[in-house]
Amino acid sequence: MKKIIIVLYCFNLIIAAELKIGSLMPKMDHILNDISGKNITLSEAKGEFGTLVIFSCNTCPWVIRWEDRYVIIADRYIPKGIGMIAVNSNAGRFQSDDSMEKMIQHANENDYNFPYAQDPGSQLAYAFGATKTPHIYLFDKNNLLVYKGAIDDNARDSSSVDEPFLANALDQLLSGKPIKKTTSKAIGCSIKFP
Amino acid sequence: MKKQTALFFLTLIFFSCAKVQLLPITSDSIIQEIKKYKGEKVVLLNVWALWCVPCIEEFPMIVDLGKEIKDLEVIFISADFEDQFKKVESFLNDEGVGGKSYLKQEKDEPFIQGIHPSWTGSLPFTIVYAKESGSIVDFWEGKEPESRFRTAINIAFNS
Repeated sequence: MKKIIIVLYCFNLIIAAELKIGSLMPKMDHILNDISGKNITLSEAKGEFGTLVIFSCNTCPWVIRWEDRYVIIADRYIPKGIGMIAVNSNAGRFQSDDSMEKMIQHANENDYNFPYAQDPGSQLAYAFGATKTPHIYLFDKNNLLVYKGAIDDNARDSSSVDEPFLANALDQLLSGKPIKKTTSKAIGCSIKFP
Repeated sequence: MKKQTALFFLTLIFFSCAKVQLLPITSDSIIQEIKKYKGEKVVLLNVWALWCVPCIEEFPMIVDLGKEIKDLEVIFISADFEDQFKKVESFLNDEGVGGKSYLKQEKDEPFIQGIHPSWTGSLPFTIVYAKESGSIVDFWEGKEPESRFRTAINIAFNS
């Protein structure tokens, strides 16, 4: 029984590490390496009315199925004052599938219209408690977390989405309304920590 | 006697060539399936996908545990898209998974919540259920060493 308690306690510690709704955006000055060749921080990526942080990568099939919607979200909401950044925290693969060279190629091939940056040491992922890609975090203008989870409820087909979780949250945020659904879940690839 | 020996070998060949039966499943249905083993077997549930490298890396080890440990029921659920059915079936046959295996047929969120509310959706995901009580002994996201599996299974046999 003692062993069970220890095992479950350890797991709860890991779960408890994920940012809760209402939490302040962590590590805003952690330096990320953007595909533009410049450094960027979350403070710099921040938008006037909110900030969208997407933990992503180059190869996860769930990212590949969903990333057409990254571009649509950026097109629609960056002009409305939402800052947006995709963060690659797969530090364990920065020498292979998630190298800067492959990130640049991936962003070009998929028409990324927002920063896409490496997270040295996966420190942002640790601080957010992000576990997978894609994993979405939306903050309000005061840098408080208002939504976390998935983009919508259908990775496979954007035309068959029943609930566009993220777009709904963004619309509600921008119109000053309370976010109705603050958390959602989806299958994703585990982040490859160093 | 010769007939009996021939029958024995034919049976052996039949079972060694047995193909997996891949079935669509929801979280509610799999939880009901797991409950059937309460008092009889330890159950190890593993959610995996073809595209998930850590899943594929630990997969043969889990299959071997299922073959080695008496009264351990290993249940795999593939989280691949339904259009991957044939590839999933082929992989399971190549890995020597016989009997029933499952393919997720439910939207992500209700599936994840139904399997375990603390699961974030990251793969692989493993849960070990106790033999006598049927309660959850341990669960984890991500690839883990064989020792973690064996420890949880040992606790499950005594819970």
